[in-house]
Amino acid sequence: MELLPQALMDGVMLGAIYIIIAVAFSLVYGVMHVIDFAVGEWIMFGAFAGFYLNRATGMDPFLLLPAVFVVFAVLGYLLQPVIQRVLSGKKGNPLLMGLVFTFGLSLMFRGLAQTFFGFYSLSIPSRFSTGSFFFEKGSFFLTVSHVRLAGLVYAIAITVGLQYLLKHTDFGLGVRALAQHKDAAGLMGVNNRRTSAFVYAIYVGVSAMTGVLIGTILAVSAKMAPEYTIFTFFVVVLAGMGYLAGVPAAAFLLGIIQSLFLIYLDPGYTLLAVFGVLYLILLVSPTGLFRKGV
Amino acid sequence: MKDRRLLASFVVLLALACVPAVLRDTFLLRVATEAIMWVGLAVAFDVLAGYTGYLNFGHGAFFGIGAYTTAILMVRAGWPFVPAAAAGGVVAAVAAVIAGLPTLRLRGAYFAIATWALSRGIQQLALMMPATGGPDGMRLPPFLHPQFFYYAMLGVVGATFLLLWFLLERAPFGLKLKAIREDEQGAKALGLNPTLLKIQAFVLSAVPTGVIGGVFAYWVTFIDPASTLGDLVSDQALVMVVFGGMGTLIGPVVGAILIFAFKTIFWAYLAEYEVLYVIILGAAIALSVVFLPNGVLGARLRRGAPRPLPVPVTPAAAGAGKLEA
Repeated sequence: MELLPQALMDGVMLGAIYIIIAVAFSLVYGVMHVIDFAVGEWIMFGAFAGFYLNRATGMDPFLLLPAVFVVFAVLGYLLQPVIQRVLSGKKGNPLLMGLVFTFGLSLMFRGLAQTFFGFYSLSIPSRFSTGSFFFEKGSFFLTVSHVRLAGLVYAIAITVGLQYLLKHTDFGLGVRALAQHKDAAGLMGVNNRRTSAFVYAIYVGVSAMTGVLIGTILAVSAKMAPEYTIFTFFVVVLAGMGYLAGVPAAAFLLGIIQSLFLIYLDPGYTLLAVFGVLYLILLVSPTGLFRKGV
Repeated sequence: MKDRRLLASFVVLLALACVPAVLRDTFLLRVATEAIMWVGLAVAFDVLAGYTGYLNFGHGAFFGIGAYTTAILMVRAGWPFVPAAAAGGVVAAVAAVIAGLPTLRLRGAYFAIATWALSRGIQQLALMMPATGGPDGMRLPPFLHPQFFYYAMLGVVGATFLLLWFLLERAPFGLKLKAIREDEQGAKALGLNPTLLKIQAFVLSAVPTGVIGGVFAYWVTFIDPASTLGDLVSDQALVMVVFGGMGTLIGPVVGAILIFAFKTIFWAYLAEYEVLYVIILGAAIALSVVFLPNGVLGARLRRGAPRPLPVPVTPAAAGAGKLEA
């Protein structure tokens, strides 16, 4: 029982990271109607970019975040037209093909990562890595490491930033219009191709940037990608596909499940527990926790 | 025209049945057996992907479920091979119903996610459970009779092919599935029950996959989570079907043979570059989606032969349509 506050706090800090990825992922789904199976691979590539940049320049990973964002956003911007081409194909079933395409990408990326990055588990050193705050009250105690706190701050900042972008800018209005009705949005002067490319760029950039954070707080390895793909899917499906307001609750739930398993039970069963929860919720309420998905 | 095709498939099956008489080399027979296995896996995959329009990224899970069921029943319960392999199919069917029940009520994206997650979950389960031997895998009683396994595989895959041909190309069932693929709401309006049909299609795809897994387990006599439940089975089935052409029965056959030929040559010369194979597989999937959306066969049969109709992309069909914040 003494560890409960610690488990909850860890869960919240993990969950905050999942929120960012899931929000960016939902944006892509809303605008392009494609599920990106390569989401975990973007996170992994971002983490490795952070790792090598840190080794080369010696800069703190938190200072490297903007650089990683820019590099990966450009990559995403360049890749998006290819996905768009698959999705707007006249032959076959384009939506199905979009899924197949990102699945192929994820396979290729995973193979490349294992070739170039090896099999070791690494972590990115940060000056926040060592310190921590300690609270104690009776038999309860709570340790909050600086790096996790910084991660939490980062997560809140990015979430607020995305929210602002979506709700208070013309670009965000265009994004929401596209998600609602592609043709009507086009008639109102929203440039579908350009907006989609920017959304995808933001998504790739944010995922990679979050990868750096994961590499700093947890670990980086060429095998990490599928796990994060599953976590992203979990959060998005639990929240209800396309329902952004449901994301935080789902993400915190995932974080707390994870940290509870880590502290109280066997962490090897975490994935199975995640699947179990996902299955039950889909069975009872297929459109997510809030019945607002599509 | 159609009956000529049926005749042709019987001729092909008959010719394949004569292969062990001609092919004395055990290694080549082994290659032929595996080629037939992949044809079966690809055709079963296409029931969902090509005909129904739902992607099963966890096809390998059903293969592994069949393999492990057969292995556990034979080793731990002492069952004979045939009922054990049949039980592999039954357990695969049960798994398909369990996995399909919550996910097939929804649009395709959920299903793709769920099946992929399922395959990961099953891998994890096989690593943890005591009955499966965990990461060390399981050894089956060896039965070294290549001809027997050739015929077992050919029998299972041949029967699967003919059954699917009848159900999908001759019986109304195939038309119903295609109706779901083209327009699920429309199919519903015509009085079809899409959820039930999709679950039936899922089971139809899972059963042969499970049985093939069972035959495979007894054939190779050793299975572990990496070889039977790894992603490679799903990934290869996917690339075979996409490369060959979705939505036909012959497309996956052609794709399976071409990709398997490539795989065999690759592993013969470059066996130490396992990761390179995964990269090539991924690139092949992505490239054939971009350049051959209907597969090599679809590209060839552009005129005349029936092929999948284009699906209009509407927000409703996409299953999205809102982004609430």
